[in-house]
Amino acid sequence: MAKGELLLEIRCEEIPARMLSAGIRGLATRLFEELMGTSLGPREVETGITPRRLVVFLKGIPEREPERDEELQGPPASAAYDAEGKPTRAAEGFAKRCGVEVEALRRVETEKGEYVVAVQHHEGRSAREVLAELIPRLILEIPWPKTMRWGEGSGPFVRPVHGVVALFEGEVVPFELLGVASGDTTVGHPRLSPEPFRVRGSADYRRKLSRRGIEVRVDRRREVLAEGMAKAAEELGGSLVEDDELLDRLAAICEVPGIVEGRFEPELLGLPREVLTTSLRDHQSALAVESDGELLPAFLTVMDRPDDPAGRVRAGNEWVVAARLEDARFFWQEDRKVALAERVDQLQNLTFHAALGSYAEKAGRIRDLADEICERLGWEVEREAAREAGLLLKADLTTEMVKEFTSLQGVMGGVYAREEGYPEAIWRAIYDQYRPTSVEDPVPNGRVGMAVAVADRIDTMVGFFGRGMKPKGSKDPFGLRRAAQGVVRILLEGGLDLDIDLVAARAARLYGERLRAEAGEVLSDLRPFFDDRVRYILGRRGFAFDEIEAGLAVGAADLPDLAARVEALHDARHESAFLSVVLAAKRILNILKGSPEYEFHAERLVEPAEKDLYDGARRLKSEVEAAEGVKDYRSSLKHIGEFAEILDRFFVEVLVMDENRDLKENRIALLQLIHRTLSRTARLTEMVVDRAEHRARSEGPETEG
Amino acid sequence: MSSFQELTLKLSEFWAREGCVLQQPYDLEVGAGTMHPDTFLRVLGPEPWRVAYAQPSRRPADARYGENPFRLGKHYQFQVVLKPSPPDIQQLYVDSLAAIGVDLAVHDLRFEEDNWEAPTLGAWGVGWQVMLDGMEITQFTYFQQAGGMTLDPISAEITYGLERLTMFLGLSRSVYGIDWVPGGIDYGAVRHQDEVELSRYYFEVADIGYLRAQFDGAEAEAERCLEVDLVLPAYEHALKCSHAFNVLDARGAVSVTERVALIKRVRDLAVACANGYVASRERLGFPLLPGTPEERRAAAMVEAVDGEG
Repeated sequence: MAKGELLLEIRCEEIPARMLSAGIRGLATRLFEELMGTSLGPREVETGITPRRLVVFLKGIPEREPERDEELQGPPASAAYDAEGKPTRAAEGFAKRCGVEVEALRRVETEKGEYVVAVQHHEGRSAREVLAELIPRLILEIPWPKTMRWGEGSGPFVRPVHGVVALFEGEVVPFELLGVASGDTTVGHPRLSPEPFRVRGSADYRRKLSRRGIEVRVDRRREVLAEGMAKAAEELGGSLVEDDELLDRLAAICEVPGIVEGRFEPELLGLPREVLTTSLRDHQSALAVESDGELLPAFLTVMDRPDDPAGRVRAGNEWVVAARLEDARFFWQEDRKVALAERVDQLQNLTFHAALGSYAEKAGRIRDLADEICERLGWEVEREAAREAGLLLKADLTTEMVKEFTSLQGVMGGVYAREEGYPEAIWRAIYDQYRPTSVEDPVPNGRVGMAVAVADRIDTMVGFFGRGMKPKGSKDPFGLRRAAQGVVRILLEGGLDLDIDLVAARAARLYGERLRAEAGEVLSDLRPFFDDRVRYILGRRGFAFDEIEAGLAVGAADLPDLAARVEALHDARHESAFLSVVLAAKRILNILKGSPEYEFHAERLVEPAEKDLYDGARRLKSEVEAAEGVKDYRSSLKHIGEFAEILDRFFVEVLVMDENRDLKENRIALLQLIHRTLSRTARLTEMVVDRAEHRARSEGPETEG
Repeated sequence: MSSFQELTLKLSEFWAREGCVLQQPYDLEVGAGTMHPDTFLRVLGPEPWRVAYAQPSRRPADARYGENPFRLGKHYQFQVVLKPSPPDIQQLYVDSLAAIGVDLAVHDLRFEEDNWEAPTLGAWGVGWQVMLDGMEITQFTYFQQAGGMTLDPISAEITYGLERLTMFLGLSRSVYGIDWVPGGIDYGAVRHQDEVELSRYYFEVADIGYLRAQFDGAEAEAERCLEVDLVLPAYEHALKCSHAFNVLDARGAVSVTERVALIKRVRDLAVACANGYVASRERLGFPLLPGTPEERRAAAMVEAVDGEG
C-alpha cells in the first residue's frame, strides 16, 4: 500500500484476444495524460491483461492538485465604484458570485481601461477525488473496435462488466461503472479459484493472484509459454516451428498458461507442410514441431489451466486435430483430381469483382500482361513460362483447400503445380505471387515470378481505378496501396527498367469496355499514386524527401534508375561545392522565371567570366551526357560540383540584367542552356539547402583538405 | 458415457429449472434454432422471455451422403434464449455443462471471440464460440439486432451442437456410432438412411423449377399475410423461402449475383415480419410485461422515449 499508488482492475466476461492490448494501452495512456493535465502525473505506469481482466498499476501520484489562484475579471472600475470610491451593487454582486469579500476586489489596468478583479483561491482537489471522476469516464472511452449491450440494455462496453477494483493508497476510490460499484474485492480463475478475496494494494494483488497461478503481465505469460513450448518440443525430439504472432495470441487467451502437447497419425505427414502448419494454426491455434526441417507428427498449444490431470485436454485436442487434418487430407486428395489448367475454366463462375468480371477474365489478362512485361524487359526465354504461370495464377481459388484456408491462396496453387510436374519457374511464380506480404517479406524470386506478380497487381489497380474505386483516406478495401507498394518493391529490388505507365496502358486496353474511365484518365490517376509509394519506400531506405523529389522530378519511368539518381544525390550533398551549385541553380531558376526562350549567340559574349562560363558549360554538358549515358550519376553530379567555381565567378563579375538588351537576352539564353544541363540528373532546385550548414561545410576543416 | 438422448434430456431439465418454457422443435424446415419464431420473434420488443428446445437444423450444402463422420445435412441444435440476459448467464452456462456430466476439474474451457451474423434475418450478435479442450461445443451470443431492429432488452442465446457434444464427450470417431439410447440403438440406426436420401435429394434430385416456384409462391403468400397483419403465418412463409433457397444453393442452381438477390428477398420478408410482430405485440399490450395492460403500455411508451434520447 505504497504512497501515491493506484491499482485498477476491471473484470469482464472474456474480451476478444485481438482487442486486449490496444484496449489496455488506450486506457493507460489516457489515464496518464489526464493525470498529467491536472498535475497529478504518476511516476510509473504498468499494465496487465488476461482474457477477463484489464489492469493498470500507477505509482507516484501526488496526494492532491497544487493550490492555485485564479484571477476573475469583473465590471469596469467606473461601474464598480461610485464617485466617492464606494463599491456599487455591481461590485457587490460580482464579489458574491466569486465568493470573495467586496473589500478583497482589486483594480487592474487593462487595454480597455480600468477593471476590478477578484482572486479566487483553489485548494486543489485530492487525488482520490480526481480519480473517482476520471477513471469511470476514461474506462467508458476506451476505443474498442466493437462494443455490445447486455441485460436490460447495459453498456456499451466490449463485454459485460462483473467487477472493479480501484484502490488509491490502499483505499477504495468510489465510483460506479455500468451498474457495478468499485471496491477492493476480486476473484481468481473462474473455474480453478473462483472464491472472492480482498486486496490491499498492487503488491498484495499480484501476490494473491500469483498464489492462484495467475500472471497478469502478458509478456511474462508469453515468456513462460515460449520457454515451456521450446522445452516440450525438445522432449519430442525436435524444435518449435516459430510463429510469433500465434504465440502472442496464445499468451492473450489464457490466465493460467498451461501447455498442451498432442500427437497425430504419422501418415498425415504426407500432407504438404504448408497445409499442416496452417491447419494447426488456423483451426487449433497450435504450433508445429520439426526436426531437421521435417515436421514431426506432434503439435503444441495452450490451455487456461496449469495441468491436465486426466489427460482429457490432450485427448480432446488430439481428437479435433485428427478430424481437421482428416478433412485437409480429403481436400488434398479431391483437389488433385482436377488439374489446374481445367480449373481455369471453372474460374468463370468466380467473380473477381461485380464490375470487373470473373477470375477467368482476370487470368487471361494476367497472361497477356505478363507476356507484355517479359517483352518489354527483353526476357524472351521466360515469355512462354510467364504466360502459362499467369493463366494458372488464380486457379487455386477453386480448390477446396483454399476455400478452407484462404491464407493458403497462391501457396496452394504453387504446391499443386509442383505436384503436377510444372517446372520450378512456373510453380514458384504461382507460389510466391502474393509476395511481398509485408515490408520485411522478400519479393518473388526469378523473372517469371516477378513478371506475374507485377502483372496481377497492375491489372487489379487499373481495374479498380478505372471504375472509380480508389482508396480514400484510411479506406482501402481492395488493398491497392499494398499492391502498388508490391510493384514498386519488385521493380526496385529486381532492378527492372519497366515503365509502369506503359504496362498500365496495356492493362486498360485488356479490360476494354469494362472500365468506365478513359485509359488516359486512369493513368494520370495512377501516376501520383505510384509516386507516393516510391516516396514511402525510398524514404524507408533512409533517403531524405528532397532527394526523392529531386529524383522524381526527372521521371519515374525507370525505378531502379530513379533510385540510383537519388542515391547519388544523397552522397553528393555532403560536398560543399555541390551545394554551391544547388544554390546557383536556384538563383538561375529565379532569373529564368517568366522569361521566354532566347537564341544563344556565342559571339555576343563579352566578359571573360561569361566566356569562361560558356566554355565550362559546354564541357559540363558533354561530361554530364557521357556520365548519363552510362548511368554514372555520381560522376555526373561530381562534374556538376566542379562547375561551382566558374558559376560563382560569373555571378560575381557579370550582371545578367544588363541595360543592353542583346547582352541581357544572350546571357539569359546561356543560363537556359546551363539550366537544362543542371536538371539532367536530378532537379537540383528541389534540394533544400541549409545556408548556415553550407557555409559551415565550405569553411569547415573537413573540406579544407 | 452420455448418449444423445440423455444429453437432450439433461439440458432440457437444467434449463426448465431456470424458468425456461420447454418448447418443442418448430414444425417447419429451418437452418438453425435461431429461426424458430420463439427465438427470432420473441427476442424483439420489451417482453421478457425464456425458452429452451432442441431444433433439427437443415444445412443442405453440408450433407455428405452419410459418408463423412462429422458432417450432416440435418443436425440437432439445443437452443436456449434468456431475455433479458441475466448477469450470471455465463456461470449458468458453465453449470449446464456440469449438469450433462462435464467435469470441469479435468477439462479446459475457453471463450473465444466469435460474432454471429445472419444476413437472411437482418440479425447480428456479439459473443463467443465456447471451446472445450480445443473443440467448439457451443455458440454463445448476446443478440444486438434482429430483423434490422436494435434490441432492448438484450437476449442471450446459447446454442449447443448436440451431435458434436455427444461425440466429443465419448471421443467418438463417427457421429453415426454415438449412442442415441444409452447402450442401445445408435445415431446411425436412427438417422443414416435419412442422411443418404436427403443428400441425394439435395444434390441430385430436387427439381429446380419446383423449388423456384416454391420460393416465389411462399414469398407472395408471406406478403399477402403481412398485408392483413398475419405476422406468424407470414413468418412461416419466409422460413419456407429460406429453406427453398438453401436447397437451390446446394443443388448448385444459384449464381453469385442471384444469390445476393435471393438473400435480400428473404431478408426483406424477415425484416417486415419482425416489424409486424413488434406492432402486433404492442396492440396486445405486450402481455408478457409485468403489471396491468395500461401500466405495460405506459412503460413501453417511456422506454421508447428513453430509447430515442
